[in-house]
Amino acid sequence: MSTIGKRIYAELKGDRVIWMILAVLALFSILTVYSATGSLAYKMQGGNTEAYLIRHGFILMLGLIVTYLAYSVNYMRYKFVAPWLLMISVPLLIYTLGFGEEINNARRWIEVPFIGLTFQTSDFAKLALLMFVAREITRHNDYIKDFNKAFLPIIVPILLICGLIAPADLSTSIMLFFTCMLMMFIGRVELRYILLLMFLGVVVFAALVGIGRMFPDFVRVETWSNRLREFVTNPDGGYQVMHSKIAIANGKWIGLGPGNSTMRNYLPAPYSDFIYAIICEEYGLVGGFLILGLFILLLIRTTALVTKSSKQFGAMLALGLCLSMVVQALANMAVSVNLVPVTGLTLPVVSMGGTSVMFSCLSIGIILSVSRYVEQVSSQTDGEE
Amino acid sequence: MTTIRNEVLYRLYFVVAMMVIAAVVIFAKAVQISVLEGDYWREKSIDKYVQFRKLEADRGNILSSNGSLLATSLPFFDVAFDPNSSGMLESDFNKYIDSLSYCLADFVDPSFTPGAYRDFLIQKRQEGAQYVPIKKNVTFEQMKLIRQFPLFSMGQFKGGLIVMPKFRRERPFGLLAHRTIGYVREGITPVGLEGSFNQLLAGEDGQQLMMRVGDDIWKPIEDLAKIEPKSGQDVLTTIDIDIQDVTEEALYRAVDRHRAQYGVAIVMEVETGAIRAISNIGRTPEGNLWETYNYAVGSATEPGSTFKLATMLALLETGHVDLDDSIDIEQGRTKFYNDEMVDAYPHKLDSTSVQHIFEMSSNVGMAKLVQKYFGDTHKEEKFIEYLKQFNLHLKTGIEIEGEAAPYVKDAFDAKNGWSGTTLPWMATGYEVMLTPLQILNFYNAVANDGTLMKPYLVSETREYGNTLERFPPTVIKRKIASSRAIKKAQFLLEQVVLNGTAKKLKTDKYNFAGKTGTAQVNYKRLNDKTHVGGYQASFVGYFPAEKPKYSCVVLISEPKEFGIYGGEVALPVFREIADQIFATKLELQEPLNAKPAEPLVRSQLPDYNIGDRKEMEYLLKTFGIKYMSTEESPLVLLRAESDTLSLLPYTISKKRIPSVVGMGLRDALFVLENLGLRVEIGSGCGRVIQQSIKPGTPVRGQTVYLRLG
Repeated sequence: MSTIGKRIYAELKGDRVIWMILAVLALFSILTVYSATGSLAYKMQGGNTEAYLIRHGFILMLGLIVTYLAYSVNYMRYKFVAPWLLMISVPLLIYTLGFGEEINNARRWIEVPFIGLTFQTSDFAKLALLMFVAREITRHNDYIKDFNKAFLPIIVPILLICGLIAPADLSTSIMLFFTCMLMMFIGRVELRYILLLMFLGVVVFAALVGIGRMFPDFVRVETWSNRLREFVTNPDGGYQVMHSKIAIANGKWIGLGPGNSTMRNYLPAPYSDFIYAIICEEYGLVGGFLILGLFILLLIRTTALVTKSSKQFGAMLALGLCLSMVVQALANMAVSVNLVPVTGLTLPVVSMGGTSVMFSCLSIGIILSVSRYVEQVSSQTDGEE
Repeated sequence: MTTIRNEVLYRLYFVVAMMVIAAVVIFAKAVQISVLEGDYWREKSIDKYVQFRKLEADRGNILSSNGSLLATSLPFFDVAFDPNSSGMLESDFNKYIDSLSYCLADFVDPSFTPGAYRDFLIQKRQEGAQYVPIKKNVTFEQMKLIRQFPLFSMGQFKGGLIVMPKFRRERPFGLLAHRTIGYVREGITPVGLEGSFNQLLAGEDGQQLMMRVGDDIWKPIEDLAKIEPKSGQDVLTTIDIDIQDVTEEALYRAVDRHRAQYGVAIVMEVETGAIRAISNIGRTPEGNLWETYNYAVGSATEPGSTFKLATMLALLETGHVDLDDSIDIEQGRTKFYNDEMVDAYPHKLDSTSVQHIFEMSSNVGMAKLVQKYFGDTHKEEKFIEYLKQFNLHLKTGIEIEGEAAPYVKDAFDAKNGWSGTTLPWMATGYEVMLTPLQILNFYNAVANDGTLMKPYLVSETREYGNTLERFPPTVIKRKIASSRAIKKAQFLLEQVVLNGTAKKLKTDKYNFAGKTGTAQVNYKRLNDKTHVGGYQASFVGYFPAEKPKYSCVVLISEPKEFGIYGGEVALPVFREIADQIFATKLELQEPLNAKPAEPLVRSQLPDYNIGDRKEMEYLLKTFGIKYMSTEESPLVLLRAESDTLSLLPYTISKKRIPSVVGMGLRDALFVLENLGLRVEIGSGCGRVIQQSIKPGTPVRGQTVYLRLG
């Protein structure tokens, strides 16, 4: 191993498997996005595909730096900032709903003043909520099965944030809600309360649909029902799904090879929502399996942290962030193979998109930070139970 | 503690297990798609279903010199409706379907009632149809309306409106300059200006992803990969629509009358080389007259006598020949080696002057002159050098494709059949080939005092009405011959019209200059006799002779009736074109008022006219007549006193009948009827010269009779 390699190896503590997972995902990301932005580049940059390669490469580099920074920070800090972040995210979400940038018919972005970059506020709120939930679960750990003292303080923010995200971005909202439920489930919250929460979720959703019928511009109820109808009624799927399937079928087992996708020209958003189909086309089922396996491996490695320190904030935080990414990844892939209706969910780390990549890298950074401390603690107090 | 930990772990493992199961299911589904159903999906991927299809760009216009459209692309649209567009809201469809059906039934397809249209569209939506044709070939105006229809106004994604633009090339002037404007069609070599400027006119096609929804019906898919087509540029030609019209009309009639094979006429502006009209009338295989081929540019033939100008200019350029030199013309019949040469017009002259040889277009005279001055072996080359000095061996370089190269033999070039008889025959316009345009360009240079211009058809390219590039006139050669020689050549061309072969059609309205030509075509020169297959009648000239403005060539190939000579077949066409241009182009006329204005006298001035002050003042000012005006009043009386005009206020009393003598009828009616009088008009026209009731009589609703004159 070269000296630089040794330096990096010495520098990057924590779970090295997770570091590896990040590296491989980033590699896939750069390759596939470069290939998939062909038609976008043709349209927007006069055929200059390198423009997207450079931009995406830059974002990924920035993401890795963010990962490193988040990894360097003592994860306990996140415990203290969580309530503040949550408080900031509420007005941000409201502002986005009211005055956000509309891209592709959905109002999910706000423009950061002075920089001119758009920023998906739900990603920010998601991170804040997950931190907050992890904090609350550990804080109320001793009396976690109590309804008033433990359950209520946790679910109120969950319902609030999810409710605010849902109008413009239902899939993110449902996914976040689901992740929170999983965290609470693992955090030993009473089962019947979780069932109650599910019921509440349905009620909130129903209320949203009601509002949507009255204010179609505000809530995208029609889009949801269209996609659902298409999913239920059309066995071949709509245009997008059909071409996603064609892409997967084209790849067979070993794929057409990097840069050889043809469906990238026909699939809408081949660089984000349907990137898994392009990966399958270019790298085959083998590549598809590898990506799927990497996310499962991430989950298993994070699980190991919990087994080492079950009640700690860090473990719960890492688990929450990891679950959020894995659930989103699975949902994204499930769309590509037409197991669920079309959503706008990206494949974490891999898909193009600044905010998405940045927050995914941040999440992994936090997980790594946790893993580093857990490692230190377990090596210091080895054998202690 | 352990129980808590275990509870967490159990639940955790449960969750992980669920995730793994989900992952397995996803992968299984991927395997199902890729392996089990693989063939089915891969079959679908063949580009039969989805393709990048061309989006045709709006082709640029071809304009005449004054901006009239010679060729333009009219947009048409095929309109269809996607009742299941992915962005269409159920609520919108339900809300607007009634009014949409009403609009469609009313404006687009009256064979449907609104109700039937509505049921039809609802049925199509339920069937899951994605492409319901509404109407084909909708005009731009109609399209503007259709875009405003309820639901359609929301666009393709939300409103389901599918619009496929296409273009049809239209020629507002029909056959006019058909061949010169040309065309571009698939599989055929492009022709004319359309072909030459195809690059500019065509613009850049765009492309868009489209999905096949029927046999040859493609539905555009809205996505980012769409590339908008870029409209082509407009080409502003030098063609003058009026001159072109006259030229074509005259040529057509001549070709028809003489049952000729084809005819060519070109009109060029002397000073610039701009082509103002270019016409080719040929015959289709069925024998109909049509612009079949661009003979003007593409067909080089032996010019015959019109080439004698080049011969003469070469002789004059030597400096040894003068117009009153005498030459023996052997009663119009001589022999060079074994070949006999005869004059086209029979005569019994033994000898005559150089000037007369040219006027009467004597072949023998020209040939003998050339033999005399260039006949020596070492001088033959010199003659060819002169022709090259006149640029007769080069193409003119006009913009349109397919210009034929002139054919001028090099001296002693045995390979090209240079022989002892070449020189005399060349002198009379044989063994040399030129296109009508090339001949005209040479005459144009003579008219232009020796400056050879490049003929051109395009003066500007434009985009959205703004000039992109200008093509100014180009001088090819500042001086093709000495001024002395040019002046003499001009004089000779004028004499041809005044005393020579063109004198029958001279006119006193203007002077023109030129040369007739009657060339043999499809001939065989045999030892005993020349067998002639037909003739080519031509006239090349310019007008007005004193200050040439336009030059013009008329060439009619193989006339079969009513004569064969250039003077009787081609010249009338030239005259007709020149007459028309003369009658319509103001700049050719001597201005009538170029002299200083004459002093006005009372008898010439209008007197005793009554009218509206503003109108009166406007008229007087327009004609620049001085007048005096005192007080302001709506009505005025115009009086002429000695040499001045004055406008006097004119008032009308409400109670007494006024004098309307001197008023126009309109004003008189207005004044009288406003007083409650009836007016009857007696006879005549013009101003009122008499009224039946005396001015000053009290108004009582009488009837007033007016006489006009």
